[in-house]
Amino acid sequence: MNQTPDTDERAARETIPPSPRASSATDAARRALVNRPSLSLRLHIFLVSLLTFFFGVGVALALWHNSQGVEEKLGFLDIANEFIIELQQARRFEKNYFLYGTNLGEAMDNTMRAREILKRNAEPLRKVAGERSFAVMLPHLDRYQELLARLEVMDQPGVRPDPEVKKQIELELRDHGHQMVSFAENLVHKEQISVRKAMASFRGIIISSLLFLTAFMLAVSWMLRRRIVGALVRFSGYAQRIARGDYTPITPARRYKDEFCDLALAINGMIDEIQSREEVLIQSHKMRAVGTLTAGVAHELNNPLNNITLTAHSLLEDYPELDDAERLDMLGDVVQEADRARRIIRNLLDFARESGSQVEPLDLARLLAETINLAANQIRLSGIRIEFNATDNLPRVHGDAQQLQQVFLNLILNAMDASPKGGKIQIVVVPADEPNYLAVKVIDFGSGIPEHIKNAIFDPFFTTKAKGKGTGLGLSVSQGIVAKHGGRIQVSSREGQGSTFTVLLPITTIPADIPDLHPAAI
Amino acid sequence: MAERPQILVVDDEPMVGKRLGPMLERLGGEVEVFSDPYAALLRLPKKHFDVVVSDIRMDEVTGLDILETALKISPETRVILITGYAMMSLARQAMAKGAFDFLAKPFTPDDLRAAVSRALDSLGFAVAPQPPQEQQSRA
Repeated sequence: MNQTPDTDERAARETIPPSPRASSATDAARRALVNRPSLSLRLHIFLVSLLTFFFGVGVALALWHNSQGVEEKLGFLDIANEFIIELQQARRFEKNYFLYGTNLGEAMDNTMRAREILKRNAEPLRKVAGERSFAVMLPHLDRYQELLARLEVMDQPGVRPDPEVKKQIELELRDHGHQMVSFAENLVHKEQISVRKAMASFRGIIISSLLFLTAFMLAVSWMLRRRIVGALVRFSGYAQRIARGDYTPITPARRYKDEFCDLALAINGMIDEIQSREEVLIQSHKMRAVGTLTAGVAHELNNPLNNITLTAHSLLEDYPELDDAERLDMLGDVVQEADRARRIIRNLLDFARESGSQVEPLDLARLLAETINLAANQIRLSGIRIEFNATDNLPRVHGDAQQLQQVFLNLILNAMDASPKGGKIQIVVVPADEPNYLAVKVIDFGSGIPEHIKNAIFDPFFTTKAKGKGTGLGLSVSQGIVAKHGGRIQVSSREGQGSTFTVLLPITTIPADIPDLHPAAI
Repeated sequence: MAERPQILVVDDEPMVGKRLGPMLERLGGEVEVFSDPYAALLRLPKKHFDVVVSDIRMDEVTGLDILETALKISPETRVILITGYAMMSLARQAMAKGAFDFLAKPFTPDDLRAAVSRALDSLGFAVAPQPPQEQQSRA
């Protein structure tokens, strides 16, 4: 409740705990991934469904409204037809009256019923036919009824109707009757057309909403496909990249954060784990190389140690007979040899020391010279000659000196293993055929690599050495290190003639960094 | 004066010769020291040596070359080889080829004197008495 903003932030972070070994690059990538506006796939699908639902409701309402209109019109047509039938009946009786003098009462009845129908259905009729049609219809009906009533009066016994007047009434009756019927029939006809139109608009609504829905669904599925399939393609790319040894953390590729963000964070965590495990592997392999070199160093140490032993013993034995100059000379020899011993082990200790990865501009030729020096004792012990050549003034490469030294040492020790006694190894540092790359070639004239195992030599645990002699990790670890430096190792070999291992390293490897960390820049 | 044993010392570490020379001379020998094994190889045919002390591991000419040449010239020459621990198999090989003894680096003057004395003994030389300081050095 009363958390400080600091603990709030920590609580928020705890949902995606950063790996304890998280490198700064991973940390930056994590922040960039997390600090994006969120649009999860779940929300996306929910919004699409919601839109589809509202559209469906809209279509249903339109159809409902339309069908109601049709229903009203059909009701009107029923009433109008009833009305017309009554009027026609009235007119038939009216005709009979003028021909045979009968049925005047029935004509009156029919007219009354027609008026009754109008009155009863005034509301729906007004709605459909409009006020104006009432205004037209009612006076006709009134007049018609009035005329019928006058005729009725004339028919009373004892009244002598004037034939002229009767004729007049007959004409007027016919006129009003005809106008009423034709007006009503006209209205019916119009309404029938309007019903047909309403039916057509049903089809229109259905077809257009289907078309719209198809287009909408296509657009939505295209968007979702792009998000999901696109992300899957991207992540399989990441997996391949990581398998190649590129441990750059995943950075945001899209503006919005979604479920794939969690996956990216998990993969970044995994990259950190793999990296720290690889470091352990590299270190343990380095210790093996150190073990190999130790034999040479131990042997080489015997020389200064022997000199110190002999000199010290001589000094002890002959002390009284020696003059000061001789004693000083002997002590000087002891100091000098002790210094020599220190130098012999210092290189190895430098190399063996566990140090954090440090990327710096490196002079490859110098690094190679140091590596050869490191293995010098071993080389002397094996009786193999090393020829070293480097092109002058080569550009520098960015890299971790200790790790690259481990790669070169491994290649040199391998070459020594492959070389016959008294053989030679050529080491050259030259610009590679490929622009912007330097090539370090370690060439031996040994047994070569049989064709059928060429593809396996970089596999972890693959070894041709006797049991207990090799771990089969040297080339695998070397390849990992070189890949991390943006380079690669090439092999060419001919059985019985020797092998050439070429390490290609890019001249300007900018240290791994995360581009565009700011959400605004993505 | 009785014939003094002729001793050749070959080691490409100059300091070894520098210390071994006086030690062996005190043992009664006449010592020649070479730090260039090739020069030693050229010297061998020109003079008879009773004892040759040579390092086994040298760059161009090895102790084995010295051994072979010395025995070819005079089979009774006693060849003592100096070797590092890592070259034990080579040392055994050298013994098979006729080396009299070998010394593993680092060795003390006593080790050297013992080996050379035995070699001289086997050749019938009277070995000079050990210097009195030797007792102190053991202490």
